[in-house]
Amino acid sequence: MGLTADLNVSMQSLLAATESMDVTTTNIANMNTPGYARRSVVLEESAPSGGDGSTTGVDVKAIQSIRDTVLNLSINAATSQQNLSNAVSSTLSPVQTMFSDTASGSIGSTIDSFFSSLQELSTSPADGSLRAQVLTSADNVASSFQSTASVITQAQQQADRSVVQQTSDANSLLQQIATTNGQMSTAQALGQSTNSDQDQLSSLLSQLSAIVDYQTVNSSDGLTLTTSNGTPLVVGNTAYALTNALNPNGFNDIYAGGTDITGTIQGGTLGGELQTRDQTLATLTTQLDQFAYQFAQAVNNVQTAGSDGNGKSGVAMFNPPDTTSGDATGAASSISVALTSGSQIAAAASGGASGDDTNLAKMVDLQNQSIISGDTPDEAFSNLTFNIGSTISEANSNSTATGNILAQLQNQQSSVEGVSLDEESSNLLLYERSYQAAAKIISTVDTLMGNVLDMGVTDPGY
Amino acid sequence: MRVNPNYASDMVSLMDQAQQAENNAAQELSTGRRVNLPSDNPAAEATMIDENSQSAAIDQYTASSDSLTDVLNTANSTLDSVTTLLQRAVSLGVEGANGTNNQTDLNSIAAEVSGIQSQVIALANTSYAGHYLFAGTSAGTAPYVADASDPTQIDYVGNDQQNHVRIGTGLSVASNLPGSSIFSQSGTNVFDALQSLVTALQSGDSSSIATAESSVSDSLNAVDTAQVFYGNTVDELTTNETYLSQEKLNITTYQNTLVASDTAEAATDVTQAETVLNATIAAAAQINQQANLLTYLH
Repeated sequence: MGLTADLNVSMQSLLAATESMDVTTTNIANMNTPGYARRSVVLEESAPSGGDGSTTGVDVKAIQSIRDTVLNLSINAATSQQNLSNAVSSTLSPVQTMFSDTASGSIGSTIDSFFSSLQELSTSPADGSLRAQVLTSADNVASSFQSTASVITQAQQQADRSVVQQTSDANSLLQQIATTNGQMSTAQALGQSTNSDQDQLSSLLSQLSAIVDYQTVNSSDGLTLTTSNGTPLVVGNTAYALTNALNPNGFNDIYAGGTDITGTIQGGTLGGELQTRDQTLATLTTQLDQFAYQFAQAVNNVQTAGSDGNGKSGVAMFNPPDTTSGDATGAASSISVALTSGSQIAAAASGGASGDDTNLAKMVDLQNQSIISGDTPDEAFSNLTFNIGSTISEANSNSTATGNILAQLQNQQSSVEGVSLDEESSNLLLYERSYQAAAKIISTVDTLMGNVLDMGVTDPGY
Repeated sequence: MRVNPNYASDMVSLMDQAQQAENNAAQELSTGRRVNLPSDNPAAEATMIDENSQSAAIDQYTASSDSLTDVLNTANSTLDSVTTLLQRAVSLGVEGANGTNNQTDLNSIAAEVSGIQSQVIALANTSYAGHYLFAGTSAGTAPYVADASDPTQIDYVGNDQQNHVRIGTGLSVASNLPGSSIFSQSGTNVFDALQSLVTALQSGDSSSIATAESSVSDSLNAVDTAQVFYGNTVDELTTNETYLSQEKLNITTYQNTLVASDTAEAATDVTQAETVLNATIAAAAQINQQANLLTYLH
């Protein structure tokens, strides 16, 4: 009880209003800052002052960031998944055009033309121009295998370049996270607010989740970041940089602290590029090599069993890399036509006359035989088309589905953390009024005190 | 519950979606296809490739049938000429055997028959696009040549093989008939018969002429019988081509149901996407104009 106590309490009130207005200013200033969560002032009654404890002022207990950490984790996980799907889809896109049904010069269409030219030759087996036509279409088959293999290799190389780029981007983020961690520990030790550091961490983690998946653990020295299988990335203020090293395939693997973590990365752009480079495209290359190898072998087997236009035994039509060991590696990128003249096409059965087409008929029949790992050449090609098409289509649907979830989560996040101008405006009004009221009390107390002081002074009246 | 104060990102993603839908529908209209890439519909694309391959095979079977028909028609008309010549030889034989001709006349008849024999040899050695039609599969060399030791004797140096050309899946037809089954069949050798007629005419013996005339007549019948092969095969090819064109039509129809766009539907889609996009843009613009509390605070 007492005017002095009133003055003190009003003073506290003025300070609280000022600090609240500071927070409002900060909120408005950062309404578009990535990672920023709106702040609010936590006020509490202060310890009673005045002799009988009847006057209680206000203290600013804390300035709190309104942040939903669980929601943020979900958002980062969804971001990782969506970026993985997007990377898969965009890296495979140039490859799938080689497998489209409208692609001219696709493996499927050149093989169709090859069999057509053989069939055409069978109507007139001795015709030189038809024989030359067969060689041309065989050449086209070889180049379609080569160009498809080359597009796949290019896509792999592009993914590899992206892996190096993403690794370096991730390292820069990891370093910033470590630095922020350090600042946060220092601030905590000094009892200062860590709100800004938290905001910054939130933004950094969100950026990192676009690149790679990770796990977080809150520990005494800030946030500990590990890969999905527990290899440390950031501990306290130390970042363990990711490094690249070439693997036997000539592509960059990713190491964290000396451990190869390439296979454990399951999210983000990095995860998508690795999955595409090391799995989808690597499998496709193997399948294409088998395709080229077995196709060449099947044609060669028939060709070498017959007699050519000069009455000689047929020689292999295609050059696969290694005809003896059965190793098809690199067959698609190196297949070529071995024959130099149309007369070398073994149209006739062994020892048959120049106009005989018995062997040619066997070659034509290959079109409908299961010569490529149990499939006809046409089925083998359409299977590849289906595989790459469904991989991309699956990635696209995943991206859309994750995108919808992400939009929902972000909407939810904004509704919790986002700065609302209307809300800040009304708070501003509130704090302004509270400031005015406290100021009014001070001025009233001032008047009262003046009156009290004036009591001892008598007007001389003269 | 607190409301999300940042509507802008939502608006952008809605506009993106509407724009994407419009792009898709427009592409569908311009290409005439719903499926343009394997990822649009993997199963349909894989089936399209199978069907394209079928379609290419049918085109090829049709082309083979066409070229084969040309070859067979050439052979057929060649045999028509042979038949006409042999009929003339038969009537010359009948004329020579009627006993009213003196030796000079018979000799000149013999000369004409000899000429007929040369023409038949030339016809039997007919080539088409560089290969001999009646040489079996030994298509590179003329099948009928004069014997080295006896020039009046005509030897067959072709073989008796037949080629077979595919005209459908699992369906093939013989594309030739060797000369040994037409002109030089054992017992009805056209050249021997003509040669014996020449010899008989030159000898002037009526009964030998009559015998020789009857063997020419027999060989004529043999050629006629062999010629049926060509007519039958051409008929088979024609029937097959009709079937192939029907098959081709079926495949095209099926491919259309797989990937072709419904123009009316795609056009409607474009309009709908456009409407959604415009509405979203209008809403975003409207919200931007909307006053907030700050407007009213002074």
